[in-house]
Amino acid sequence: MERKDFLKNGLSALGIAAIAPLVNACKKTDSTTDTGSSGGGNTTGCTEAPTETAGPFPTKSPSAYVRSNIVDGRTGVPFTVNITIKNKNATNCVALAGAIVDIWHCDKDGNYSEYGGTGMQSTDYTAVHFLRGRQVTDANGLVSFTSIFPGWYSGRATHIHVHVYNASGTSLKITQIAFPEGSSSAVTIVNTTASGYTKGMSGYTTNAADNVFSDDTAGVQLAAVSGSVAAGYVLTQNIIVSA
Amino acid sequence: MNKIIRFCYRKIIDNAAAKAWERLVYNDSYTEFKMQAQRFNAENKYSSFAEILQNNPAAEQLHFLTGAAATAYVRQLNGKIPDVLNTLGKHFLPFKNFRFEIINSDIKDSKSHKVAVNFYSEPVEWLDTVGSTMIIAVNNVIENTELLTDSFIPPPFVSIYSIKQTEL
Repeated sequence: MERKDFLKNGLSALGIAAIAPLVNACKKTDSTTDTGSSGGGNTTGCTEAPTETAGPFPTKSPSAYVRSNIVDGRTGVPFTVNITIKNKNATNCVALAGAIVDIWHCDKDGNYSEYGGTGMQSTDYTAVHFLRGRQVTDANGLVSFTSIFPGWYSGRATHIHVHVYNASGTSLKITQIAFPEGSSSAVTIVNTTASGYTKGMSGYTTNAADNVFSDDTAGVQLAAVSGSVAAGYVLTQNIIVSA
Repeated sequence: MNKIIRFCYRKIIDNAAAKAWERLVYNDSYTEFKMQAQRFNAENKYSSFAEILQNNPAAEQLHFLTGAAATAYVRQLNGKIPDVLNTLGKHFLPFKNFRFEIINSDIKDSKSHKVAVNFYSEPVEWLDTVGSTMIIAVNNVIENTELLTDSFIPPPFVSIYSIKQTEL
């Protein structure tokens, strides 16, 4: 899990102990620019607050994950991810509607969106959570994402992470999707011929050698992938959960 | 000599938050925290963020993962750091970068949820200091040979995050 290495020592190290007292004898007086709980302006002293135009007026907005197109400017081979969620506890294992499905995967170079080790995110707020998305299954249990074909990184086979929740956000399944292998597979073709995918297949970890997929001898986690570099690829996978 | 600097404003939001923007960030980030924490806390064995983190260091990712709940609200600020005012009482610091931080939370106690949104300003020019007042040029706007400036007294929770190194 090399991505853990990126996650050390965020800003949390700077400030957990440094919370201002919430009660000050002579604090904030301007309701348009301040509240009782935010840090910042004028928590000491007794300077009358200046006047600002009211606003902006925020509107209720969903998490940045909620979208079908998760590309966020990342370049790569076009890739559609179609996942159908089915319920093991239902008669005939029928589709599960209304389930929340999160997916995330690495970019063509094998990097995930995440906070780096220094305080400041190097990319701006419009693209912080690239290649991460959330959709709710339709009546057929289907969610669909528009993305780019994932690359790979040392120690892991190509994969997509999936987290399935019920409609109220309770976790039902955390799993990963594996990709078909071989000389004619999408993984091989993309990594050896597609523009921008520079790693080739040297040093690639196969599914059989992968610490997540090696026990999946029945191929339950193995997706169907079809398409071409020019036209893009489509991944199809059923995921069975107990709801 | 003038310095090119960035400010950081650490805006803390807890259960006492009253303004609409803060309530939205507070409530939505708590919901997202509870969803994401399940990845690092099998069978909800632990309750508080501190316990989850202690037993699974990978839960450091929860700062980043939970932050997605705040992104849309950060965009609604239109690129101006909130709360931080110049001496004329106006928002003046532009930003593009922010970093979300969980200070405390608990999957069984919504009131213990406490987060921070760290705003990092765009680079500005620090021209001079008069008493405790900094003279700042934000956009290097020159009108009639006059460089336009903002006067600014850094309040608590605002610090100079970085100073650009000049080439020797």
